[in-house]
Amino acid sequence: MFEKLQRAFWKALTPDLIAETVAAPPQGLLSAEVLSALGGADNLKSQQRVALTRVRVQLQDAGRLDEPALKAAGVEGVMVLAGGVVHLLSGL
Amino acid sequence: MTPSKPLELLAPLSGVLLPLDKVPDPVFSSRVIGDGLCIDPTSQTLCAPLAGVISNIQDSGHAVSVTDDNGVQVLLHIGLDTVNLAGQGFTRLVQEGQRVEAGQALIEFDADYVALHARSLLTLMLVVSGEPFSVLTSGLVEAGQPLLQLSPSETVDAVDEEEGDALFSKPLTLPNPNGLHARPAAVFAQAAKGFRASIYLHKQTQSANAKSLVAIMALQTVRGDTLQVSAAGQDAEVAIQALVALLAQGCGEAVASVAEPVATVLSATLLKGVCASPGSAFGHVVQVIEPALAIPEHGAGAATERAALARGLLAATEALQALQDDAAGSAQAEIFRAHQELLEDPTLLEQAHSLLASGKSAAFAWNSATVATAKQFQGSGNALLAERAADLADVGQRVLKLILGIRDSAWELPERAILIAEQLTPSQTASLDTRKVLGFVTVGGGATSHVAILARALGLPAICGVSPQVLALANGKQVLLDADKGELHLEPNLAEIEHLEAARKQQVLRHQRDVAQASLPAITRDGHRVEVTANVASLQEVEHALTLGGEGVGLLRSEFLYLDRSRAPSPEEQAGTYASIARALGTERNLVVRTLDVGGDKPLAYVPMDAETNPFLGLRGIRLCLERPQLLREQFRAILASAGLARLHIMLPMVSLLSELHLARKLLEEEALALGLTELPKLGIMIEVPSAALMADVFAPHVDFFSIGTNDLTQYTLAMDRDHPRLASQADSFHPAVLRLIATTVKAAHAHGKWVGVCGALASEALAVPVLIGMGVDELSVSVPLIPTIKATVRELDLADCQIIARQVLGLDEAALVRDALRQYQAATVETSPVVEL
Repeated sequence: MFEKLQRAFWKALTPDLIAETVAAPPQGLLSAEVLSALGGADNLKSQQRVALTRVRVQLQDAGRLDEPALKAAGVEGVMVLAGGVVHLLSGL
Repeated sequence: MTPSKPLELLAPLSGVLLPLDKVPDPVFSSRVIGDGLCIDPTSQTLCAPLAGVISNIQDSGHAVSVTDDNGVQVLLHIGLDTVNLAGQGFTRLVQEGQRVEAGQALIEFDADYVALHARSLLTLMLVVSGEPFSVLTSGLVEAGQPLLQLSPSETVDAVDEEEGDALFSKPLTLPNPNGLHARPAAVFAQAAKGFRASIYLHKQTQSANAKSLVAIMALQTVRGDTLQVSAAGQDAEVAIQALVALLAQGCGEAVASVAEPVATVLSATLLKGVCASPGSAFGHVVQVIEPALAIPEHGAGAATERAALARGLLAATEALQALQDDAAGSAQAEIFRAHQELLEDPTLLEQAHSLLASGKSAAFAWNSATVATAKQFQGSGNALLAERAADLADVGQRVLKLILGIRDSAWELPERAILIAEQLTPSQTASLDTRKVLGFVTVGGGATSHVAILARALGLPAICGVSPQVLALANGKQVLLDADKGELHLEPNLAEIEHLEAARKQQVLRHQRDVAQASLPAITRDGHRVEVTANVASLQEVEHALTLGGEGVGLLRSEFLYLDRSRAPSPEEQAGTYASIARALGTERNLVVRTLDVGGDKPLAYVPMDAETNPFLGLRGIRLCLERPQLLREQFRAILASAGLARLHIMLPMVSLLSELHLARKLLEEEALALGLTELPKLGIMIEVPSAALMADVFAPHVDFFSIGTNDLTQYTLAMDRDHPRLASQADSFHPAVLRLIATTVKAAHAHGKWVGVCGALASEALAVPVLIGMGVDELSVSVPLIPTIKATVRELDLADCQIIARQVLGLDEAALVRDALRQYQAATVETSPVVEL
């Protein structure tokens, strides 16, 4: 609890240092090509801009992910994580 | 240096390369720490880019540095602002000092956790040792792939050790929320590099080259650490000043200042503080400044240095003994006795001796040991120990000066000095020529600090918690100290001065008269008698109270009898202590013994308890005693042994529930029965929790008396910590809410034929006496030196008037208005009772 409080204060004091993790509007975050490489819009549970350089998506079915297609669609790096979570590296 | 083969650094992670310039963090992009590059990772295991030794790995696991055999040092820093995660999401696979192969896994991290909780995952690989390099690839990289090629460096800048004794800064508290992690450490090292002096940063017994980022990070500092900067060389003094200022400002990080000054500046001509000792004085500013001491780090052989330390300690012990013998009051003697004990502290000596064994000088070893231990005291979360830190620093300084052969020049004080200091130590106040000192003003400390205690013992006015601005006042400036109001007037006018001087003379005369008449009973002009008793914590105080006209003991703080003990006193010893106090009082006087009032905020060494998040709302007073009934039973037995020697009363602290009273009474009755006593001592409770005051009518039938603890009652009623730097001045017992609770309690008690005392600080304030008497309080239990004053105050009053003024102030809005009304009333009564010149 203390840690949370401290973080909250830290954030209040230095709003520019900690990224807001509030989801950006889901529209327009990903291009049509990227969406299709991820298995289509209906394969997405969530999408969120995180850590300055990434879009974090949660997939219903990670098996429908097409990595080469993602690269072809201009995604610089792809990090496939457990639980259907995928980070798409978009650069700064 | 032998020319080395070109060294290749391997990619520590897979990911997308990014030039350093683009990293959105000026510390990295400006290359203050070193040049290198950045990877946005797609793998989660950080690997060694070269073979070498782990020269530093942060506890929080987000950064590691590797140094190879040729001195090439590479810092890897995972993510931006990941220090804030405090280790969450990181697993360290290696330890400091461990030798690693190129490509060996160093740290695993949870990329998803870090991405969601930190600013960025951008990971930096920086060549801290400064060799130039070329980048071998771009775009996507795989972990383990060659990434940079280092050109052999021509020179590695060796640290030029400047000769000469090091100057040490005063200890300072690190404000950075996460200690000196990479970013502030880099800023600090960069600044240190700007000086020619060799500079070290000290944390307890460790020290680091202040020009080395990695060395600073290896100190693993955290917020609140006590640090010292030392420097040797030509520009040492300037370097220390600049670096200390930089540390205090957070080395480029936003920091909350560690200790906010209490007071605000009201105007350019008036500084406000908190009254630590009443009175007023007009005099000259004398700034008290401790010179920085030059402490040589290296000794002249362990045996010589051991002897030097032993001599210093012995001389200090003797000096402290002399101070005790000459002490102005018992409080002062006690402080120096405690200081002597600190000199014998085994852990302190052990620390110092282990440093001596490693070739350090006696002065360095002693200083490091005392500073480190003082720091532990401060960080203990234990208010009593934290207070001891100031004492330890004082003792430390005393011995240090003796070792270094620095004579405390007897202060050449001008006449009418008003001493101004950040903080005055007991040693400083003891060596004062008090005939020349008129008052004290300090930035630190509070109403319970040593300077406050000593100032009161000396009868000199003092204010604490004044804005640090006061330290900038010129020596010799004429100022007016009005401690009663907590004010320092910087440009006093003649009328103010004359008024206060007259008041001061009047006060002295009054006090003389009050003491002379101390044995007279406290009876109002219209014949109402009030019992004035003493708050005591020792037999000595009881005896003192009796000579000052005390009519009994209204509060014996039993926990203070054994404050310095690490083990519970034996039942016989406890019984003996109570009996000697009871005998001193005799069968005609009241003795009210409060059972152990300890808790998280007032710890007792032999009653260990877990740390609590909010000790004031935790297991305190009767709550703790009922948790450990054996402790309470034993104390009851010891108190009961004094039955018949005085008019014995037992008082339970912190009662908030009726069940607590019933439980305690049951234990008391059982113990009395076991001892074969037919008559129980009177049993009462402290009223210090609002619930008890509000339910006084429910409690009254079950008690023999109430005694109101106004300090706690005030802080619980107003929900303000009375030691809070910002709130202390508002946490005022004169608040009508507190007074109303007292009135409620008295009414309920009298309805059931029970008496009510006030044993809190409010009873010791002459200003409060009319309202307390007016509300019907039967007994005032006051601090010993104030007994004559309070008795005299009662004698000047009319009960009927007091009842009127009490009714009036209960209807006011706030404490300040109550004080104003009472001051007006006081002025009126004082006028009608002119001081008798003796």
